[in-house]
Amino acid sequence: MKILRDIFEKVSPSFHEGGKFKAFKPVYEAMENFFFAPAARTVMAPHVRDPIDVKRFMSMVIIGVIPCVLASLYFYGLQIIAMIIVSYAVGGVVEVIFAMVRKEEINEGFLVTGMLFPLILPPTLPLWMVGVGVAFGVFVGKELFGGTGRNLFNPALIGRCFLALAYPAAMSSNWVAAGEAGVGRLMQYVTASSVDAISSATPLVLAKQGSVVEVSHMILGTTSGSVGETSGALIIIGGVFLLFTRVANWRTVVSILLSAGVMAGVLHHSDPGRFAPALWHLFAGGMLFGAFFMATDPVTSPVTNTGKWFYGIIIGVVTISIRNFTGYVEGVMFAILLGNIIAPILDEIVVGFRLRRLRGEG
Amino acid sequence: MNVNTEIWQGFVVCISAVFTNNILLNYFLGMCPFLGCSREVKTSVGLGFAVIFVLTSTCILNWLIYHYVLVPLSLEFFRFIIFIIIIAAFVQFVEMLLDRTSPLLYQKLGIFLPLITVNCAILGASLFMVIRNHSLIVTIGYGLGSGIGWFLAIIAMAGIRQKLANEHIPKGLQGPGIALIIAGLMALAFTGFAGVLQGN
Repeated sequence: MKILRDIFEKVSPSFHEGGKFKAFKPVYEAMENFFFAPAARTVMAPHVRDPIDVKRFMSMVIIGVIPCVLASLYFYGLQIIAMIIVSYAVGGVVEVIFAMVRKEEINEGFLVTGMLFPLILPPTLPLWMVGVGVAFGVFVGKELFGGTGRNLFNPALIGRCFLALAYPAAMSSNWVAAGEAGVGRLMQYVTASSVDAISSATPLVLAKQGSVVEVSHMILGTTSGSVGETSGALIIIGGVFLLFTRVANWRTVVSILLSAGVMAGVLHHSDPGRFAPALWHLFAGGMLFGAFFMATDPVTSPVTNTGKWFYGIIIGVVTISIRNFTGYVEGVMFAILLGNIIAPILDEIVVGFRLRRLRGEG
Repeated sequence: MNVNTEIWQGFVVCISAVFTNNILLNYFLGMCPFLGCSREVKTSVGLGFAVIFVLTSTCILNWLIYHYVLVPLSLEFFRFIIFIIIIAAFVQFVEMLLDRTSPLLYQKLGIFLPLITVNCAILGASLFMVIRNHSLIVTIGYGLGSGIGWFLAIIAMAGIRQKLANEHIPKGLQGPGIALIIAGLMALAFTGFAGVLQGN
């Protein structure tokens, strides 16, 4: 450790004001931050000591998705690692360039986007598409709006939405039948051109063709689907961890799942032959993953608690509507983006109502 | 056609005009007030209601004039001029009404109320209704749906722009630049409704 510290202290002057590598100061600070506690201290008041800062917040999300990542390696093979690396590398470059131009610190927020993005893609998507998607998501979805904490839409979802519209064929066909028994696909590197990559339709696609996959398979995760979204049980474990650490707000999660369940239940009751049952809809596709990890993003969801309830209800209802009434098989992505769009106005309406009531009382 | 099924069809067209064929986010009509008047929620709510009202009313007026005056006289090619004149007269009427009832709103809307006259969304809706051969009931649904769709889009936009931390956006993109990008991303999300209730 001593050696590392010495190296940092030695190169430090050349990264600060007047040094040779002044432009790379954000990179230096990020590395220093990564290995040690930052040397710089806040000078101005107020000083708040709180164990949960942005960094901890982001770390919790990463811990929360680890079960899903490990499961995806088992189900879909080692390409997942390559996808995560590409996502981090390309998105990281965009992030670093912006930090250098802005002369700001590199923010930990990217660690979450870079991790979540591959998890919502088909498992054998070509790696260059992963790169294009994450670059678009980070650049347009986040950096143009001012970087971490100022984005209006979930960058990972913007990237995925962009890919879904730009390469619809690749985004709806690169499914792999999940590995089973013993080591699963842990020893395989499955790409779209692999011989043993048996392309198999996801439960949602099968449902459009009239066959309903058993819910128990979707709880375990032995179905095809996006990288991290298949195993319902593991998502719930990671998600409940987020709820307990208060990183994700339970109101959002409950209102999404409840409204989606109720609507799916009502539809199923009206025409059981045409609409799948409620429990099936909750475990199918990205519903759970979206509800726990995507929609709960504190930056892009409403601030007020009442706003969160309405936000969740809209996401749940729109998801079920898109799944059942449009040409798309999956609607979670679009629904959460729509939720992001209306989040600010929901807050505005809630605050407006409160103000009116306060004035009425006073 | 049965009146009941026609009302149902009008309802379907109305819903699809709000989401699937949103006049702003799918056809990109009515962009100027959308960009110019969306800085504040209160103003955009006022403008949104004005558009719902004007759009629905002018669609109905234009439908009546088109089918009972222009078609019998076989003057259909005249519809562009006639529609614009009717819209202009009607906006003038709304302006006078607002001036009397809500001077504050009138002041806030400023130049944008007369601008509704040349708002492509309003003329566009009237022309679409002719092209698609809507009946009167369906036209009411279509006008109402288009107006509501426009209204939803502009208040969402206004909420977003109020939340926007302007000083961190790259200099060249501040103002209309970032607003256009936001509109593009909103349209991206609205593609999810493609194919729902295709009732033109």
